[in-house]
Amino acid sequence: MKKILLASVLGLSIASAGLVEDAAKLDVKKVCDVKANGAAKVLAVAKKFNPEAIKLGVEFKRLGIRNKLYVKAVEEAIKAKKKEVVIKYTVKKKDKVKKFPLDYAAWRTCTFAVRALQLHKEADKTWRLAVPGDGYKF
Amino acid sequence: MKKKIIASLLLGSFALLSANSFSTQADKDRKALQAYFEKKFADRKNASTYFPYSTKDELDNNFKWGIKGDEFRLGSYAFDKGGRAQHDEMMDMPPFEDNIDNGKELYEKTPGMKKCFPNPAIAGDYPKFVKGKGVVTISDAIVSCAKDNKQKGWKLTKGKTADLEAYFANASKEKGKKINVVINSKEAAAAYERGKKEYYTQRGYLELSCATCHVQGAGQRVRNDILSPLFGHTTHFPVYRLKWQGLGTLERRIKGCNKNQGETPHKPGSTWTKELIYFMGYMSNGLPVDGPDIRK
Ligand code: HEC
Repeated sequence: MKKILLASVLGLSIASAGLVEDAAKLDVKKVCDVKANGAAKVLAVAKKFNPEAIKLGVEFKRLGIRNKLYVKAVEEAIKAKKKEVVIKYTVKKKDKVKKFPLDYAAWRTCTFAVRALQLHKEADKTWRLAVPGDGYKF
Repeated sequence: MKKKIIASLLLGSFALLSANSFSTQADKDRKALQAYFEKKFADRKNASTYFPYSTKDELDNNFKWGIKGDEFRLGSYAFDKGGRAQHDEMMDMPPFEDNIDNGKELYEKTPGMKKCFPNPAIAGDYPKFVKGKGVVTISDAIVSCAKDNKQKGWKLTKGKTADLEAYFANASKEKGKKINVVINSKEAAAAYERGKKEYYTQRGYLELSCATCHVQGAGQRVRNDILSPLFGHTTHFPVYRLKWQGLGTLERRIKGCNKNQGETPHKPGSTWTKELIYFMGYMSNGLPVDGPDIRK
């Protein structure tokens, strides 16, 4: 029983480290290039990495819109074969709607998902550089 | 008998020693942080190193130099003369007087509150690290006391909690209390270290850390604001903000800043927020409690 538990814990942490490691290896400009890869492929990248960003507490959010809303709206647009992405969200309990061109929204959600994990990993090396008395000299 | 006493004395002093050693790193960090800010704001001569983007006019005329220790509790008003003048004017008729009164009434009338907090002058003693619970901020402690006593409508960010905190802060200030955050176990030291890492980690699509603005950036202008230093940040909460038209806790302020970093903000009451506040609180250790206060 204990062994199983240990194995599953290890398995989980490996899977999680795996996604961060995977993201760290990517060239954001290339994998999120909609012209080169098509919106569906770019969306798949976002779908792969954004849940991990949420789990780690590092999901990006811009102008009141969480990245997971971009993921969802892009997916809906692709399914419906629309070139326009409609995002519904709330700011301070008020309902809002914003529209974006599909290519732009796909690129945005992909770069946000990948970059959040890359940043998370880079932090291990960079954070101490900003600490006075540690890596930050003054 | 004697042996027992000696043994327990030894044990006692050992416990004391090790209690201190858990905070060795944090004490070092705090001293370095203070030294950094005191150097940064020491005099006009250093200004071009530390404030490359500030105008000559601002540095010559708006900045006060030679800021030390306790003065940092005022945030940017410690060195921003214009902001300080406005602040002092508002403090002539503080907009939070009613909140303090209301807090006192809540303290006296809310079932269980007096039992949870026999002494109201404890604003400087939080956050605390509690074995089995982790970090407990003053807002956490108040809200869980209210919940334990089946009281409704207590939030971590504003309202009754903030009013009660205003009463506690005022009582602490009147008694001349100082910020006195304690790290007394391995677990507590680990929580502190995690909070510190998060503070200095770049996050969100803007890729900014709290430190980008409140350590390296302190003193620089962002739109209409002059950025305040981390050292002193926890001394004066809850704060009455003009933008809020009301009082808010440290949790409320941090959620706003976290959102401005371009990240889905962490919830008040999350481990992330608590440990961040633990780190921030320790950085203000030794400064006088000076809440509530006013900010733009
Ligand atoms: C883009 C810059 C920026 C970043 C990044 C940022 N803040 Fe702020 N913060 C501000 C501004 C602007 C204010 C209002 C002016 C001031 O007091 O600094 C403020 C105010 C505050 C205050 C109130 C200060 C006072 O004297 O009452 C606290 C506390 C605070 N920030 C904490 C944080 C924390 C914690 C983080 C990281 C989660 C953070 N900030 C990230 C810009 C920033």
